[in-house]
Amino acid sequence: MSDKKKKVKKKKMGKLQRNRVWMSWTFVLIPTLFIITFYFYPMIQAFWISLHTGTGVNLDFTGLDNYRRLFNDQAFITAVKNTFIFFIFQIPLMIILALFFSVLLNQKTLHFKGVFRTLVFLPAITSLVAYSLIFRYLFSNDGVVNQILMFFNFIDDPIFWLGDPFWAKVLIIIAITWRWTGYNMIFYLSALQNIDPGIYEAARIDGASAVQQFFKITIPMLRPVILFTSITSTIGTLQLFDEPMNLTGGGPGNATTTISQYIYNLSFEYTPNFGYASAVSYSIVVFVLILSAIQFRVGRERK
Amino acid sequence: MFSKKHLFLSASAVLLLAACGNGDDETGDTGEETTEETSGDMNELTVWTWDPNFNVKALEMAEERYQEENPDFSLNIIENAQEDVVQKLNTSLSSGVDTGLPQIVFIEDYRAPSFLNSYDEAFYPLGDYYNTDEFADYKVAAGSVDDNVYNIPFDTGVTGLYVRTDYLEDAGYSLEDLEDITWDEYIEIGKDVYDQTGIKWLTNDHGDLGIMRVMLQSSGVWWTEEDGTTPYIADNMALKEAFEDYKEMNDSGIMNVHNEWDQFIQTFNNGDVVTVPTGNWISASIMQAEDQSGKWGIAPIPRQNIEGSVNASNLGGSSIYVLQGEGQEAAAEFLAATFGSDVDFYQDLVTEINALGAYEPATEGEAYEQESEFYGGQQIFQDLAEWTQEIPEVDFGQRTYEIQDILAVALQEYLNGADLDEVLQNAQEQAESNM
Repeated sequence: MSDKKKKVKKKKMGKLQRNRVWMSWTFVLIPTLFIITFYFYPMIQAFWISLHTGTGVNLDFTGLDNYRRLFNDQAFITAVKNTFIFFIFQIPLMIILALFFSVLLNQKTLHFKGVFRTLVFLPAITSLVAYSLIFRYLFSNDGVVNQILMFFNFIDDPIFWLGDPFWAKVLIIIAITWRWTGYNMIFYLSALQNIDPGIYEAARIDGASAVQQFFKITIPMLRPVILFTSITSTIGTLQLFDEPMNLTGGGPGNATTTISQYIYNLSFEYTPNFGYASAVSYSIVVFVLILSAIQFRVGRERK
Repeated sequence: MFSKKHLFLSASAVLLLAACGNGDDETGDTGEETTEETSGDMNELTVWTWDPNFNVKALEMAEERYQEENPDFSLNIIENAQEDVVQKLNTSLSSGVDTGLPQIVFIEDYRAPSFLNSYDEAFYPLGDYYNTDEFADYKVAAGSVDDNVYNIPFDTGVTGLYVRTDYLEDAGYSLEDLEDITWDEYIEIGKDVYDQTGIKWLTNDHGDLGIMRVMLQSSGVWWTEEDGTTPYIADNMALKEAFEDYKEMNDSGIMNVHNEWDQFIQTFNNGDVVTVPTGNWISASIMQAEDQSGKWGIAPIPRQNIEGSVNASNLGGSSIYVLQGEGQEAAAEFLAATFGSDVDFYQDLVTEINALGAYEPATEGEAYEQESEFYGGQQIFQDLAEWTQEIPEVDFGQRTYEIQDILAVALQEYLNGADLDEVLQNAQEQAESNM
């Protein structure tokens, strides 16, 4: 009797377990299929297209020709240079600013913390196009920024923010920094709140100054988060598109054209060459891989 | 049991989703097969275009006229920014799926050869539907590939030299002094007027090479050779002169520099420049400043110091195209009956939206004779229509905007002091390496 009961019980358990296995595989299978269809398939297809060249739908297989062309294409090289200039100057600037703001806004004695945090974070949720348009007005030749600078006698003649190759780059850097500092600050703030206040207390008792506390405690404790934000920012900057497109149109000349904008131009501005455009987009993949690897190394070594 | 069923259901759902892609293709195919039967009685045609006050308005007027004969006919006009129309068209056509496309689409003449060559099966030939000889040659040429005409020309971008006559008079000149002149003479007069009045002679955006396109077309050349792809930069005398003139205008201080369209309009609406050399579509913006009525005039555009260069050119302008597929005949018939042959319709276009077509018989009409009070009583439409017929024919080729971006960089370097021959040689090499 008991034997039989046991058997039945075992059988039931087995069935239920089997069901569970089926269920869980179903749950895994559906997203997997979606990821394959909407991520991997386009990625492979894009690589396949990048081995072709031609206008519009008249594509011919040309192997690695598109990739060879990259090295001689002045427009592409300029786009890469511009992207790297943005990346080299903008990311450190933004991360330092974000750290500064997050430490400042984490002070226990600060009043109206919520208000200030919101103010710094607000740009990140502003519509890109809207803010670009406003920036264009602010920084136009007779815009508010020039008027203020001239009023305080910092400059004698208006700066051609949108018309000068150097200042146009500066403007793009200002714009991205303005937009993304608050976003990165949020990560630092949450990481700061996870640091045990006891550590700071101990440091104070040992006589560490505020500066020492910042460099010896805060920065090391935040290292993983700094690594994370610098990688996501790197990827973001390498794919930079909206600001140059809406603010400067890539100009003057091609002084602010980024790689992504060049891809757009190749596909939609000029006679479409989707093959070459795909090859250019694969170059971004390569850059992201290399840069992320370097950042990982640097971030890990110090540990 | 339940879970098995569940798995089966979800799996088949995924399969179904995957099959959707194919399903679209199939319906597309059957759509094509039945084209001949259904196209005749297709009554609502979809159009993609931009500019609500101009293209859309013109279409609505055409629709209204066509409805008098065909009461069931109607248009579904979808208006987007020109950039978006270009992008939508590119993505739809390159995907190979022919559902979701309109029957009629507007394409800027500079972009047309690129579309026609990239998607050679996508457009429906219209040459048999209207008399192409009655239109300005250069407009028809922009929409033709291998003697097949794919467009019905719409607005001409015929250029004029819009001038503030009151400023001119202050400096002792008259509108006649600007007629039939070269760009060099234009610059000389400009310097004199600037010295006397302190008002800038013209305004431009260094990134917008429109004025160079105007100069080149007046000489009958382009920055690609006749095959439409080989760059023609280093040995292009017209382009070289255009660069030199541009630098002269910039360096002598007679040129105001703006950075965007709004600033451009503001500059002349505020009375900060004497001349605006550009396409006739600017007229509406110039006339916004009602207080300047009677103070403007239009002279023919200057020509280059090159044999064959004429005092007539073009900037922008678009044509109308029909996409292959269901409704192609209906669309072609509609366009032929309105934009392709209706003289009265063109009179309305001029009177109501100041749209100048490239249709020669229409220029005999009454509307073209009206004198414009704003332009000091000048018969501007007649003048512009006359210049339209003189515009040299140019093959815009497939690389207008691509090479323009290369040249914009070259211009920047040249303005900063680089050697012209070197700059153009570099541009030539770069454009060649991108072929």
